[in-house]
Order: sequence, then structure tokens, then C-alpha cells
Amino acid sequence: MKKVVDVSFPIGPVHPCWKEPVRLKCETKGEKVLQAEVELGYMKKGIERIMRGRPWQEVMFLAERVCGICSVIHNMVFIEGMEAMSGIPVPPRAAYLRVIANELDRIQSHLLANFSYCYTIEHETLGMYLLNVREKAMDLLERLTGARVNKAYMIPGGVRFDLQAEDHVIISSTLDQIEPDIMRYTRMFSEGPLIGLRSRGIGILSEVHAREAHAVGPTARASGIRTDLRTQHPTYQKIGFSPVVRTEGDNFARVMVRFQEVAESIGIIRRCLDGLPEGLIRSGGVCGAGTITHRGEAPRGELTYYLKADEYGRIVDISIQTPSIMNIEASAHYMIIGATSLADVTSTFISADPCIACTER
Amino acid sequence: MSLLQRVKNVVRSRSIHVCFVDVGSCNGCDIEVLATLAPRYDIEQYGIYVHNNPREADILLVIGAMTPQWEDKLPALWERIPEPKAAIAIGNCPISGCVFQRRDTYVSAPVAKFIPVAAEVPGCPPRPTEILSAILSLAPTVFKDFEERRR
Repeated sequence: MKKVVDVSFPIGPVHPCWKEPVRLKCETKGEKVLQAEVELGYMKKGIERIMRGRPWQEVMFLAERVCGICSVIHNMVFIEGMEAMSGIPVPPRAAYLRVIANELDRIQSHLLANFSYCYTIEHETLGMYLLNVREKAMDLLERLTGARVNKAYMIPGGVRFDLQAEDHVIISSTLDQIEPDIMRYTRMFSEGPLIGLRSRGIGILSEVHAREAHAVGPTARASGIRTDLRTQHPTYQKIGFSPVVRTEGDNFARVMVRFQEVAESIGIIRRCLDGLPEGLIRSGGVCGAGTITHRGEAPRGELTYYLKADEYGRIVDISIQTPSIMNIEASAHYMIIGATSLADVTSTFISADPCIACTER
Repeated sequence: MSLLQRVKNVVRSRSIHVCFVDVGSCNGCDIEVLATLAPRYDIEQYGIYVHNNPREADILLVIGAMTPQWEDKLPALWERIPEPKAAIAIGNCPISGCVFQRRDTYVSAPVAKFIPVAAEVPGCPPRPTEILSAILSLAPTVFKDFEERRR
């Protein structure tokens, strides 16, 4: 059969909607997307090659520079992997402070992802509201860890800074301010008729396809897959929480899962602050030899570190699997196919929250 | 100074279009550039408009440590920006390569090897206020009396 229109439509690498360079090549017929292909490699820095042969003190700082948006979880998974390998105990207070830092990071990451989505569907008002709330979460992170983006808060055997009494008050009062705002913006998003037209029923990822593409994180949870590695983390089990799962699988569901997870994270931080144990924040320990595969739930999904260290704590071998690559695969091969407008291609791709710096390292 | 030049000076002082390009960073500086859009810092109150179209831009913010993919693409992108133009290096990566400039790396910092860099904002990452003040302090030196100086 002869094709009437067959255009390969490239999007990127420099594109107004995309924070990072990535190229998406769409085979289109009219405006209907028949198939799409992702071209990666614009940000390959070879960070795993740099890490090999260096002591853990250096790799710890390199690990959080794998990704600037979710730097806390990279630090956390690497440090917890080193601890599990060498049998270093963590004081209960430090374990709780780690959860607080991680959840604050999740809040700011999810708000940034939802800002990007709102910006892409050209609802700039809601996007700016979200970016403004995010600044409050960044302030709390700065108060707790001393830096805005690359924090290096966790070290083997504890954390670097304690939570002072006045910080305790400021964090809970700021959370009280943030929560009604988040509720309001969630309602704006879920009830907005124009947002609904651009989001509901677009970029559908069914549960079968999500499993085939190995989707993780909010993308998988929006398609009805109940997967959250935080349920297996000992500190989170103590605090108690339930993963957010939706079943629609469209752009709307993915953004709403992130909104609901922000509310969930605020609850987790509150419970942490209420039950914060007294005591040491650093207990010390020596990093030794071993091999381990350690996992953690990043804002975008499952993050895996494979570590191999020698007896002096030097990293002999390391390999990182970040969540975005699976979500990009799901996005390019399942969600975008059949999109009836090219404007939906960018918004669908952004709704999976691709982090190219993570993916390529 | 001609009348036309005076008008151009007035207009250009309150209308700066910014394009940012990531040539291989950890994303930390990207989100700090995005944070300048937030109503707290409010980059648009100074007449700076951030969008990613190099053909309309006046100032190029370069983020990242120069991966091999960008070695031919960044000079091509720089060519597309109309005069007068300036490039600002945001963060340690485009200045020195930061943590990525080590043995076995793929990056080839600094960015100044490939395009002329007018200003540098060090930091890993710099604060949004620093990015904002760098753009604001650079703009008059580049755009004021541009046509008369070139003559």
C-alpha cells in the first residue's frame, strides 16, 4: 500500500519543552504517530569509568552527581550499599533524618516534573505555582543539609548534620503551609477542563505494556502496577506508608500519582518528625571489601547500584541502573504510538518524567 | 550617539532573550536555571525571557562539561544566534570540567575551546540569584552601543 504522507519528524535535541538534550524521531502519517525512536548519547560523561579505582570518599560525591534532580537517593543507595557490604550500623536518629531528606527531595523532584508537564501543555499559571511551592521545599532541604542541589548529606554510619530544635519547628510549620497549596493545585489540575482535554485519555500505557517495557516508579504505578521499593526499606516499614496506585495509565494519571505522592511524602515527614528518636547521628565504621547489589526507590522509580570494593574501601567495580531508561522505553514505544497530534508527543514524553542525565551518566 | 542607537540601547536593556543548552551536566545547574523562572526570583521582571530557541536568543547559557556529541553541534548552534550575542558558562563543568574532568572520562572541558565565553558563574551548582546577577551585569557591556562600537 502506498503511503500518502510519510515524514520522519525529529524533535530535539534543543527543544523549548525539554530540560535536557534528547532526540525523538517520529514516523508520522499526517499528525498520527506510527512509530517513534529515541536517540540518546548527548550527555554521556562516563561517570562509572571515572568512579572505578577511586576510594568511597570520592565516589560518594561522584554518585550524587549522576543526577542533580534526585541527588539524595543516589547518595542514599550508594551509602546504604557500602554499609550493608561492610556491616556498619546506622543510629536510629540518622535513619529517620535520611528519610526526611529523601522525602523532601522527592517532593521537589515531583513538583519539578509536574511543572515541566504543565509548562509543556502550556498551562503556565499552574506551572509557576508549582515552581514557587518547590522553592519552599528547597529551602527546607537547604536548612536540613546545607545545600540546595548537591548535598552529600549521608555518610557511612550516619548523616553529617543534626536537626536542631528550631529546624524542627520551621520544617513542620513550612509543611503546614505547603500542604493546603498542594491540595489546591491538585484540585486545579484534576478539575481543570482544559487540562483534562490535554491529559485524559492521552498517551495510554496499559498494564500489559507497562510490564513489557519494565516501567518503574510513578509511570508504572499510574498503570496499576503496585511497585514501590520503599515498602521494603526497614525505616519506611517502621514509619508506615502505602504506595499510590492509579489504574487509568494516561498522562493525567501519571501527573496525579506524583501529586498524591507529594501529599504522601508530607505525611511521612510529619510522622518522622513526631517519632524522631534521640541519640547520635554518626556512629562510625570502616568500609571494607565485598560485593553487593543494592536497590532504592528514586523519585522516578527503581534505582540499582552494583558495587564491588576492596579491603581499603576502594571501588573496584560499579554499575548503576537508573529508572529513566525503562520509562523512556515505555514512553517511546508504547505511549507515543497512536498520538493524534504532535503537540501530544512532547507532553506524553514529558509525563513519563525522563531524566537524561541519569540515563546516560 | 545617533538617535537610532539610543532607542536600541533603551529597548535592549529591558529585553534579553536567553537560550540554555545542556552539553553534558548532572542536571543540577539545569534545575537552578529553571528555578530562576519561579516567582520568587522572577527572571521576567528584569525583561529576561527564557526560551530555548537559539535563532531568537541574545544570551546563551552553556551548562555542562562538553561531551563528544556536542563538539560539532555547539559551534553550529552558536553560529545560529544573531549578533549581538554572548555566552555565559553556568557552573564549574563548562569552566573546568568539575568532577568529570578525570582519567577515563569522555568530556573535553572547558567549553571556551569551542565557543567564546563572555562570563563564567562558578559553583556546583551556582544559586539562582548568582545566575540572574551574571546575566544582568553582562547584558549592558555586550548590548550597549553595539552598532557604534562595531563601526
